[in-house]
Amino acid sequence: MKAGVARAVMALAVCCFGESRREWARAMRAEFEAAAADGRPLLFALGCLAAAWRELLTREEGRFVLTSYALALGLMLPMAALQIGCAVLGLPYLYAGQNGLRGALLDGGTQELLLRGVYQAAVPSLSVLLLLVGVGHLRIAWAMLERDWSRVTRMGSLSLAAAATLILFMAALFLDGSQALLQAMILAIELATVSVVARWHAQLFPPRAEEPAR
Amino acid sequence: MVRKRQPSTQMRVLLEAMSAQRQQWRHGYDLMKETGLLSGTLYPLLMRMTDQGLVEAEWHEPAQPGRPARHAYRLTAAGFALALGLAQGRGDLPSDGAFA
Repeated sequence: MKAGVARAVMALAVCCFGESRREWARAMRAEFEAAAADGRPLLFALGCLAAAWRELLTREEGRFVLTSYALALGLMLPMAALQIGCAVLGLPYLYAGQNGLRGALLDGGTQELLLRGVYQAAVPSLSVLLLLVGVGHLRIAWAMLERDWSRVTRMGSLSLAAAATLILFMAALFLDGSQALLQAMILAIELATVSVVARWHAQLFPPRAEEPAR
Repeated sequence: MVRKRQPSTQMRVLLEAMSAQRQQWRHGYDLMKETGLLSGTLYPLLMRMTDQGLVEAEWHEPAQPGRPARHAYRLTAAGFALALGLAQGRGDLPSDGAFA
């Protein structure tokens, strides 16, 4: 049990080191085996984790990593959760009748007078669009943490296109699109922030001559 | 004017331990045991001393098969000179020294 915790702490410490300290992280990982053989793996691993966190705070590269994670965990994941929640559970602004997606699709519901024909048929497409925007947030966050900027650009463009389509269709169906518009604006702000992070990354790690820029 | 900084107590302890066997490559865990420094103190020190050219590091093949290669350290000429200077009551870090 204690050995397992020590290994987990050590793995976390190794992950916390930035790219320029990768070799040191490997060195500590190798030395961890000697500490484990000596019966002191947890103390050693905790020390390495403290060292990694100190590095994170004192180096620009570390601050870059912290900013990326703060953006992903503090903005992108909550937005993804909100939009996927809206699409699956149905928050009031998307479906009439306040009964969520299921209620909106039911025949004979209180909303049926409003939802006849085209609108009822459009509900699944609207929820799929919203789901796409939510999943887009998750994929942008993932690609940003992997520093795959071309994928970030691709996913960002797709998410923006899905958000714009959603707003246009809601407007065409005379639905209140103000909440969707607000979320699209948050997506745009999010993408602008990601582009600042990408520029920061390019300054910190300029691409080598033989290495094509990603 | 260039600001000179005195090495911390932990760095002095490490310099003393490494200068005692200057030519010998030392592993991190062995240095921890000898100096009493914890990994959270020793490794940041080693990293910065390597950045400043006071310590050199290289990978050594494992003594036992199946074990990972280990990183080993020893003082450079500049590191040894600093250790000698400290032992004689003088010795300042390079101007970019950032030790607590």
